[in-house]
Amino acid sequence: MFRKVLIANRGEIALRVICACKELGIPTVAVYSEADRNSLHVRFADEAVCIGPAKSSRSYLDFPAIISAAELTNADAIHPGYGFLSENAEFSEVCQASGIQFIGPPPDVTRLMGFKQHAREAMQKAGVPILPGSGGILKNAGEARETAAGIGYPVILKAAAGGGGRGMRIVREASEMEGAFSQAQQEAEAAFSRPDLYLEKFITAPRHIEFQVLADSHGHVEVFGERECSIQRRHQKLIEEAPSPAVTPELRRQISERLRRALHEVGYVNAGTVEFLMDETGRLYFIEVNARIQVEHPVTELITGADLVKAQIQVAAGMKLSEILDGPVEIRGHALECRINAEDPDTLMPSPGRITGFHVPGFIGVRVDTAAYQEGVIPPYYDSLVAKLITHGRDRAEAVSRMNRALEMFIIEGVRTSIPLHQRILAHPDFLAGRLDTHFLERLEAATRTAQ
Amino acid sequence: MDLKEIKELVQVVIDSGVAELEVTRGDSKVRIRRQAEAPRQEIVIPAQPFAVAGQPAAAPAPNPGPPAAPAQSPEAEKPRQEENLHFVKSPIVGTFYEAPAPDAEPFVQVGDHISPGQVLCIIESMKLMNEIEAEVSGTIVARLVENGKPVEYGQALFSVRPD
Repeated sequence: MFRKVLIANRGEIALRVICACKELGIPTVAVYSEADRNSLHVRFADEAVCIGPAKSSRSYLDFPAIISAAELTNADAIHPGYGFLSENAEFSEVCQASGIQFIGPPPDVTRLMGFKQHAREAMQKAGVPILPGSGGILKNAGEARETAAGIGYPVILKAAAGGGGRGMRIVREASEMEGAFSQAQQEAEAAFSRPDLYLEKFITAPRHIEFQVLADSHGHVEVFGERECSIQRRHQKLIEEAPSPAVTPELRRQISERLRRALHEVGYVNAGTVEFLMDETGRLYFIEVNARIQVEHPVTELITGADLVKAQIQVAAGMKLSEILDGPVEIRGHALECRINAEDPDTLMPSPGRITGFHVPGFIGVRVDTAAYQEGVIPPYYDSLVAKLITHGRDRAEAVSRMNRALEMFIIEGVRTSIPLHQRILAHPDFLAGRLDTHFLERLEAATRTAQ
Repeated sequence: MDLKEIKELVQVVIDSGVAELEVTRGDSKVRIRRQAEAPRQEIVIPAQPFAVAGQPAAAPAPNPGPPAAPAQSPEAEKPRQEENLHFVKSPIVGTFYEAPAPDAEPFVQVGDHISPGQVLCIIESMKLMNEIEAEVSGTIVARLVENGKPVEYGQALFSVRPD
């Protein structure tokens, strides 16, 4: 087992890793920027090294500062958390070259997963369904129509050279294709100097479903069920749950089997998340692999009983899954997570500042992952996450009822928070019925504006 | 390991000035850590109506504590009571060396006059030797880090009385 683990991160995830290390009896090193001098992860690590000024690029993203800190403290492993350097293949390589174990996939696997096209091909080979598309540039509207006929409408035309909504056209039926194709081409030419277009299946109201995976360095892969993260705003998740109300046990079994095979083929090691979109008929399509531990991992931990962060460390130390897990994955009950952010509920602008009142809910079925504390400061330089509030119940209704109770009993004063927004979402009949898709929040906010 | 051996190890820690010692023999393991010398920073919270001593929610703000391995924090070295002392701070994480080579003369000594651009010391980071230059004109009042000791970002290396 490792002699000492350095955590190359901050906030609640740094504390989460410290928890796992304490339970494994491994001493820890915290690194911190000047803005995080009084942070809880600094307080609870066995040692701490200041690595730079507040700016992330000069502290938490600074390779030499972090590697130096590991060398000075004799740490033999680095846990990168999420965000920051967690999916940086170069950083993983530098760790390797410095004789430090990076707690995550090997650099070439991280790199492969980062190239979307390669990841898609790898998944497709193993029978994992991917979003159907033209695969390459379309020669003309005729070819577009043929491809679309094969996939099924609606489809979306996209500019090969760009993004941001320009050079994009949704086409709902064959008769629209000619016009849409030339319009999209003109826009693409104007915006990106290239008229090249490709085509993809368009899902009008997709659900975001992701599967948690864990692989050891001996070729064994396990899948820990799925999470649904459809409640998001501009691709920032606000509420996650496990399992998904839309995934049947049969679908779960099928996808898990394909993923085990696919990840074994690419030589995946350590924890990861495989993201899918689900269309209105309940079919799943692969989008991408996130080669790291994710923010919302607690909901999976609560329904499976697994300690994913501890498992990451054990896998990195060479242990086999059969030694780490005590049996096949079983899903029990339902879990929900609310990401409580320091933000103004009306303008949605971040609301950094000093927390003057803090009382965390607890009791049965409630878990709070946070690095915030009374008189602590949420600095303006990093994300605005104050706490992750997670509940577990015997079924979805109980998990929701516990979340409502916990949100009510969570006191955070001194900064504005998203708690009122979470309460509104949880009260919505569509949410309660499990009728979710990634446009849920847009609709809720539009309805709120109309009502005002 | 018996009590006598443990007492001997404790004496070794005290005598040698080592910060932390861990000894493993067979199944037994002993870790002895020297109590940090810098004062604990405590922020006093005004009494709350329902506060009960020992409850985490009402506890004082955590003390980040001086790091156990890297050298003492600036607070542990009480600077002289002079005003307007300029502190040369480390811009990187690394190991402090007072001289260009192990057997060479130190770059600067206490009492030396320094000018902007003059090399004061080397901080080694990942096998690269970084020369740290003075930014002010003045006189070295004190060297605040021992030769060969680790330093963190922002740690005070020298105190200087500016001209």
